[in-house]
Amino acid sequence: MSNELADAILAMDEDGALKIVKDRLDAGEAPEAVLDDARSAMTTLGDRFACEEVFIPELIMGGEIMKGIAAELKPRLTADDAAEKRGTVVVGTVHGDIHDIGKDVVVMMLEVSGYDVHDLGIDVPVETFVAAVKEKSPAVVALSGLLTLAFDSMKDTVEGIAAAGLRDQVKIMIGGSPVDQQVCAYSGADGWGRDATAALAFAAEWTTGGAA
Amino acid sequence: MTPTPEELYAQREQRFNDIVALKKPDKIPLMPLMMHYFPNKIAGVSNAAVEADHFLRTKLMKEATLKFGFEWAAAVGVPPAKSCEALQLKQMRWPGGDLPDDAPFQWVEDEYIRADEVDQFLADPNGFAMRTILPRVAGIFQPLSFIQFPPMYWLANAYSTILLAPFLSAPGMKEMFEGMAAFCEDAQNFMAAEGGYFGEMAAMGYPRPFVGVGFPAFDLVSDYFRSLRGSTLDMFRQPDKLLAMIDAMVPPSINLIIGACKATNTTRAFIPMHRGAGGFMSDEQFEKFYWPSFSALIYACIENGITPMPLFEGDYTPRLKYLATLPPGKVAAHMDKIDRKKFKEMCGDVMCFWGNVPPSLLATGTPQQVKDDVKELIDLFGDTGTLIIDSTVGIPDESRPENILALKEAVDEYGVL
Repeated sequence: MSNELADAILAMDEDGALKIVKDRLDAGEAPEAVLDDARSAMTTLGDRFACEEVFIPELIMGGEIMKGIAAELKPRLTADDAAEKRGTVVVGTVHGDIHDIGKDVVVMMLEVSGYDVHDLGIDVPVETFVAAVKEKSPAVVALSGLLTLAFDSMKDTVEGIAAAGLRDQVKIMIGGSPVDQQVCAYSGADGWGRDATAALAFAAEWTTGGAA
Repeated sequence: MTPTPEELYAQREQRFNDIVALKKPDKIPLMPLMMHYFPNKIAGVSNAAVEADHFLRTKLMKEATLKFGFEWAAAVGVPPAKSCEALQLKQMRWPGGDLPDDAPFQWVEDEYIRADEVDQFLADPNGFAMRTILPRVAGIFQPLSFIQFPPMYWLANAYSTILLAPFLSAPGMKEMFEGMAAFCEDAQNFMAAEGGYFGEMAAMGYPRPFVGVGFPAFDLVSDYFRSLRGSTLDMFRQPDKLLAMIDAMVPPSINLIIGACKATNTTRAFIPMHRGAGGFMSDEQFEKFYWPSFSALIYACIENGITPMPLFEGDYTPRLKYLATLPPGKVAAHMDKIDRKKFKEMCGDVMCFWGNVPPSLLATGTPQQVKDDVKELIDLFGDTGTLIIDSTVGIPDESRPENILALKEAVDEYGVL
């Protein structure tokens, strides 16, 4: 039964997936089991993305299907189910940059992969990142940027976290189209990537959650 | 003997055209596609200041071109902020508007056509744009969303001045026309500054890169109307409607390029590309949703004697097999991120290689790193000489001046063939 749901999600069959969820709930199955199956399908989707078998459209569509399933399941899940997270990640587009497409894909993939994600949004000041690190104690901070001005903003943010005495508590990844090893070294981040695959790999490596 | 400006102009045109035609030039040129805010940043002038003064902007562009040894007059890559302000654009944010004075302009992507409105748009694109899209993208057009206008052919009616009075006197209409007048005034200033800049540069021997601009139909739909999320969901939820929108946008984009080139007697067209890059879709999706309308645009340019200058933003390495099928020697391919060696192997006998020097190097690296990178490019493409030096999208705003000088030093040192 569980394969049917995963197959429908992976085939991008939105209506089919939602019907399977409703049918299983109507048959009295525990919502937790249904959620686990849906999440495992999203993990498979992430793996296929990493292998370049699927691309951004499937991630976005998969995320939409998952949203629909979550909406169906949410009223029936207990608070404990929602609390099981693989690690905490603070994400934001650095100050001066208002682009959010890449960040949003990363946020979506981290969420469906079971991370507790705190999305600070776009044009995020250094002090907001610092406050979030203090408050949420994340294992990972993910800095996004599309513009070349983001190079300095990323550097400022890494330095701001260090100046607050928090650098040893977090691993910092940077991501976005113009980012590369040169920018990583310049900013003082721990890792860089251009897409959600890299973000998932770093998150898995840097949290206790195991492989993504 | 020092060449005259006329001779320099002709040499530079010839060099560019030879490289596009896959003929070995005498030297590798440094020709930045465009500049945004680099010229004012190095002059200590804020982005907001040049947004407010088009003539200041073009003066600084001229100074940068001469100082850094560029071989043509890079295009102005910035939308005029006063024009944006006059229209109360919500689709764009700019320095001196609600962004800091030293921020660059930035695009605000949204679903300006909603998923369930595609049929309405297709049935009456202009009417839908007037009533629905314009009020969403620009504040001054807000009245158009609620005024039930009669058909435009009423304007041909001699009594229309009376009949249209109730509509044209509706709340917000006067402000709309005032906003459009302000937009026109700034647009005229912009055109005068731009025209003066290119005219002056041409007289000094520096060609203009392009006049015509066109957009691949998928990018028009995805960037400007449906957003990445919306167009992506359309691929799965309503692919036929997505394709119908794409088909509808091909002829206007072709006409835009041909019209601009004919009106100015120029033969080059800039085609910015976004969503066809690797990662944004599978090969199957690319073949279905992107390539047919993009290649139609390219072929239409070529058939009309226009050199298409596609800017392949993102990593197009996975698409090289498609680019390799385009007619040889006709396309000036400007590259963002790309596997250089694979490009040479798969497309080296089809199109020249332009751009690709990483912004990260220019903004954070050393002159030696920049020179090494240019040398690597020249070592790879020097045998055919079908190479033009530039960064990924023109000169990055945050480039260190010494690194831009290093570009010129590198072409002088390694690029004479």
